[in-house]
Amino acid sequence: MGLSRREFIKRTAALSAASYVGMHLPFSLEGKARAADADRWVRGSCRLCGVGCRVDLGIKNGKAVALRGVPESRTNLGYVCMKGMLFYKILGHPERLTKPLYRSTKTDKFKEISWDQALDIAAKQFADSVRKHGSDSVAYYGSGQALTEETYLFQKIMRGGLQTNNVEGNPRLCMASAVGGYLTSFGADEPIGGYADIDQASCFFIIGSNMAEAHPVVFRRVMKRKLDNPNAVKIINVDPRISPTSRIADMHLQFKPGTDLAILNAMAYVILEEKLYDEEFISNYSTFRQSKKVEVDFDTYRKFISDYSPENAAETCGGNITADNIRQAARWFAKSNGTVSMWTMGINQRKRGVWANNLIHNLHILTGQLLKPGADSLSLTGQPNACGGVREGGGLCHILPGHRLVKKEKLRNQVELAWGIPKGRIPPKPGYHTMAMFSAINAGKIKAIWVHCTSPAQSLPNADLYRKGMKREDVFIVTTDIFPTKTTELANLVLPTAFHFEKTGVYGCTERRSQITPKAVDPPAGARPEVWIVREWALRLARELNDPVIKKCVEPFIGKEESFDLPKAIWDEYSQKLTKGRDNDLRGATYDVLMKMADGVQWPAPTEEFALTGGTVKKFVRGMDPMADSEARDDKPYQFYGPAHPDRKLWIWLRPQQGPAETPDAEYPFYLSTGRIIDHWHTTSMTGRIPELMRANPYAFVEINPKDAAKLGIKPGDMVEVKSRRGTNVLPAKIYEGPIQGMVFVYWHDMFEDRMINRVTKDAYDPGSKEPEFKICACRIRKVSGPKPLKPYIVS
Amino acid sequence: MKSLGSAILLVPQAASAGDLIDSPVKTNRLRPPGAVPEEIFTGKCIRCGRCVEVCPYKSIVPQDIKAGIHAGTPLIFAEKIPCYLCMKCVQVCPTGTLLKIGMEEVRMGLAVINRHTCVTWREETLCRTCYNVCPFKEKAIHLDRLRPVVDEKYCTGCGMCTHGCPITDKMGSKAINIEPLFASKSVQW
Repeated sequence: MGLSRREFIKRTAALSAASYVGMHLPFSLEGKARAADADRWVRGSCRLCGVGCRVDLGIKNGKAVALRGVPESRTNLGYVCMKGMLFYKILGHPERLTKPLYRSTKTDKFKEISWDQALDIAAKQFADSVRKHGSDSVAYYGSGQALTEETYLFQKIMRGGLQTNNVEGNPRLCMASAVGGYLTSFGADEPIGGYADIDQASCFFIIGSNMAEAHPVVFRRVMKRKLDNPNAVKIINVDPRISPTSRIADMHLQFKPGTDLAILNAMAYVILEEKLYDEEFISNYSTFRQSKKVEVDFDTYRKFISDYSPENAAETCGGNITADNIRQAARWFAKSNGTVSMWTMGINQRKRGVWANNLIHNLHILTGQLLKPGADSLSLTGQPNACGGVREGGGLCHILPGHRLVKKEKLRNQVELAWGIPKGRIPPKPGYHTMAMFSAINAGKIKAIWVHCTSPAQSLPNADLYRKGMKREDVFIVTTDIFPTKTTELANLVLPTAFHFEKTGVYGCTERRSQITPKAVDPPAGARPEVWIVREWALRLARELNDPVIKKCVEPFIGKEESFDLPKAIWDEYSQKLTKGRDNDLRGATYDVLMKMADGVQWPAPTEEFALTGGTVKKFVRGMDPMADSEARDDKPYQFYGPAHPDRKLWIWLRPQQGPAETPDAEYPFYLSTGRIIDHWHTTSMTGRIPELMRANPYAFVEINPKDAAKLGIKPGDMVEVKSRRGTNVLPAKIYEGPIQGMVFVYWHDMFEDRMINRVTKDAYDPGSKEPEFKICACRIRKVSGPKPLKPYIVS
Repeated sequence: MKSLGSAILLVPQAASAGDLIDSPVKTNRLRPPGAVPEEIFTGKCIRCGRCVEVCPYKSIVPQDIKAGIHAGTPLIFAEKIPCYLCMKCVQVCPTGTLLKIGMEEVRMGLAVINRHTCVTWREETLCRTCYNVCPFKEKAIHLDRLRPVVDEKYCTGCGMCTHGCPITDKMGSKAINIEPLFASKSVQW
């Protein structure tokens, strides 16, 4: 052990030199050698997170062999992360589902059946349920990973065909509060700017997001901006946990979980107190709102905000928050040449997620840090098509395609007219939102549900409660997936589908950008694209229920070839007929245009000519956004034509601090929060099957602050029980100066029952967005044993 | 053909004297934490197997007869199962071959990044697995412009990074490997 430092460094130097000598080829040659492994490259989008990286899939002898980033793409500029480089291994993975599987009761074993039998069974079960228990006894639960064409067709059959608005999707669990925030603050869903602002920003306000791990490629861009201008660019990170993202921050505000609204209001207090607001911007473009109906004036807002002095907030928030650092953060935010805020689940998955979103937007509206280059309030998406498919394509219970609200008759009629179905066919009442849908399953009100491309058995909060309902024998569950998951374990009928690059379709990422991924390789024999499955199922439903309107819903698609022509016909119908005149006008983004573009099109893009330029970089700005010109009502440079604000203004909201639904007490003294790690994605049904990724992080662990660990006698690697009022996990401990004292943090990817943290989390949800509060609940921890060897777990 | 194959297997391989006394310690083949210098390790270790027994992760593997005079001594195969630094083995070693040291003092070796195979250094992709799994994150491995850099002052050589590294080159070695620096230290008897 007693090696002198000098000697040590000498040896290290020798060693690094040795590792240089060990290489075989110079850089450029090696790059070529790798590229030569593939016969051809097909351009598409990454299958995983919401960043929307463009990738080339390398194909050799009809098999996927490699992935690489596309340098011309404006989303990722050629970079991909490890997950993005390796997901080609899922195409042709030996565990892929290739045969429809069926069992009549959930205790039976699955048996393989033919596609004809499978579709007959699915149609019969849904038809029976509709006949016996009414339209609202059936439901569709989709995914932000489904292609836009799939979500659109599913919801068309459910709404137009089966006459129910029970159309939901997992974006409710991650994006709903951001949707609520954008609609209530800006009057239109989705961000005004995009990633381009990152390259011009001089202040980053990253709150409730570990983007270094969850969105690594966007984070690289933020990092590059910071490193190129180390003094001019400031990064503020607000998070109760020190994450890899915090490490580049100039200031990290660490606070007691659930006090985020107080910090945001306190920043607004400083902005008012020090007159850092943009008076002209406020008077031209904004109003103050107490509620949707009640408009108030600036003085009322001033009075409201007076409760949130930085001193008060510092007391509420605890942690390292002081009045001084709140003041400093507010000054950096307001005075910079351009401020970009970015957030994800830390803000959205809160009891008052919409309010938290509003308060971030407030800061931007007050300071005028919007609409100009380098300034934006940018919510990052978690899934590749939550924006494109679900938010724009009508994948939630209260919205129809093209950002239309179900409850507005005029908008329903527009959709009915476009589909050529009788007026009044779409029911006026929104369906069950996700938590209500699974509660309805528990209560036996839903008799048949189609779960597409997602695994609610693992991803719902308080999972045990909802799995109980899914186990009921009187609920028929159809799942469409590529691998066995925790949810296929509870299904009656499992349908094997084609994966990304095995079918054609469009994904829409965070920044309003739609990008196409064409079919590049054949799916494994037996797996079919979802659009084909839905079409065939709908035709059978029409026969079962003897209802020509159901057939009418798929009539334009009959006989089309399933891998390209069919999705193209669906996209054409959706983009040409249903986005026309809406704020997400996609008429210019035809398949022809999308195939030509390296990186897709940002809407609004009403014409092909405009779409070919890349579309709208900044919404609402005249000269940049064609709709800001066509919808203009006056000659101001910014036109807020969004559908939710008839007054065409940005709304500054009076939103008070509100804590989480459950706070620690004597019995459950710790906060529990959950999150992600870079090598995995969601329920690990995909990344868990890639050995390189699984080996890096084979199982979940619980992060405990060293001070708490010392108090409880917990050592690194010890097995620790994490218990809440709902469930228990036993995980290995990682003692780490990450979570604030009094808080523990667990990764939610693990499929193993004892390490599946959603059995512990709480199912309270935001009354506005109906998004559950995954991020905060109360728990207690105790050591159960010393370190134990653990095995990774994957449903097979 | 089959009988020929098994016949070959049955013939014991002639072992040279060098094989029998050569230390098994090399890249990614490490002694457990707190080990005395390799020169005296084999003399001091009584092959009691307690460290092997107590290791909860089965990281420590006793050498078999092929290891010559090193047979029975403990070895960690870093890329297979790394040391998770639970420090149980040093507590049970009866001879002091594994000295009772703390987690931070462990120096089984030093992680060395091969910048020509590491995909992040090659700028092919953004991977920071080694940084993520490092038990002394920010100290032993930190990120310099998103690229991992090892600091010899803190690296314990536990091998978690080697084990986690998703890159394996054609020769079977990872993009980050543990070099057993300290094992080669000379000692006075």
